[in-house]
Amino acid sequence: MADSAPITHEEYRRLCEYLYRRTGMTFNETRRYFVDRRVADRMAATGASTFADYFARLRGDIDGEIEQFVNAFTVNETYFYREDHQLQCLTANLLEERLKVKQNGETMRIWSVPCSTGEEPYSIAMWLLENWPQVDAHDIEIVASDIDTEVLSAAREGVFGKRALMRLSPALIDKYFVALGGDRWQILDDLRNSVRFTPANLVERAETRPHGLFDVIFCRNVLIYFDDTSRRVAAENLYENLAPGGYICLGHTESMSRISPLFEVCRFADAIVYRRPMGDRRG
Amino acid sequence: MADPSPDVRWTAVRDAATGHGSVATLSRALIHEGDARVREAIFTALVKLASSESIDVLLQSLRSDESHLRTGAMDALRTAPAVIAVQLPLLLADADSDVRLLACDLARELDGAVVQGLLCALIDSDPQPNVCAAAIEVLTEIGDGEALPSLARCADRFPDDPFLLFAIAAASERLSAPRG
Repeated sequence: MADSAPITHEEYRRLCEYLYRRTGMTFNETRRYFVDRRVADRMAATGASTFADYFARLRGDIDGEIEQFVNAFTVNETYFYREDHQLQCLTANLLEERLKVKQNGETMRIWSVPCSTGEEPYSIAMWLLENWPQVDAHDIEIVASDIDTEVLSAAREGVFGKRALMRLSPALIDKYFVALGGDRWQILDDLRNSVRFTPANLVERAETRPHGLFDVIFCRNVLIYFDDTSRRVAAENLYENLAPGGYICLGHTESMSRISPLFEVCRFADAIVYRRPMGDRRG
Repeated sequence: MADPSPDVRWTAVRDAATGHGSVATLSRALIHEGDARVREAIFTALVKLASSESIDVLLQSLRSDESHLRTGAMDALRTAPAVIAVQLPLLLADADSDVRLLACDLARELDGAVVQGLLCALIDSDPQPNVCAAAIEVLTEIGDGEALPSLARCADRFPDDPFLLFAIAAASERLSAPRG
């Protein structure tokens, strides 16, 4: 990787504008080091000798460079049972509330977006098995989506290191993982097959809408990377993907009330979540 | 977008947000739209389109007699600081004092040093004490000691307005204090 900044201020500005248009993510001068490192990595990987060469390659999407570039900019560190108070809320309140309005036999749909390398959707699956007595009585679909296709591949593979499992008890690890050696564990095939992984960019309605309506959406710690306009667009896209009365869980530092008036705030014992008003049938 | 069902109108608006030539349709729909959520989607569509035409619709909404249109346009514009940066000098010089007053509020979204210069120029000359009061409120938040001469001149221009004099005194006290 190059040691020095490979791009000028003007090039940096153009690159950030491009990144914003493609992903909705915003980077200003305070994130310059973060951006420079990734650009230098991609230039080295593609053999581009100047930023102009690389930018032309990127814009032309030569050898799928746009996807590689976006993948380099997404932040993918997470772990199992992160913010598990929301998982507690899921089984104690949200699913029970949804059952009240669902037809008998109707599938309960849960969406983890962005899902990163799979810790969140697998956590949801494990949590339901461990903590929801009705889990076997209902058809449950867990969909997991991310803009980053490399992390989706990793999520499908379901291999995790020690750090990702730090909040799981040894009993849970024994029950749901196979030790591969070298501090690596693979999640059981049954659990891997219980989650459907798909690509999706939250600010592109054409990518979110086909996923259909969900009862609960976990959308944690991603809206903070968007600028205000993209946040509004993402909020409207998520709104369209929620069944009327469906719930959305954000990260603990995020507030939908500051982004969009479309949702109602719901305070439960374990978490504050947001709900698409029951009367809204559009979407 | 004229369908009686808000569900249908919502979908139509969201479809239009990615289409070309849809600004005129969105603009017409905005005037008559009675559903708050559909209106919200129209404002998001306009700010996302970010064309000169769509931004013009937002700016025109600031002149509306309908408070929900003014508020919706303000909320949408707040998400687009680059647009505010371009439009703010024009808005602060607008012939309509209500627009100038709203522009002061939009100024909060921009870099303090640039905004301070614009707001100081405004309170040096604006004939409306309410507009000056709005500008002073923002200056109190984002300004520094360089605003003090303009504040003093503004006090001289409105010697009989007790609220403005109180606001100027409070702002001057705040901006005179050393920054910690």
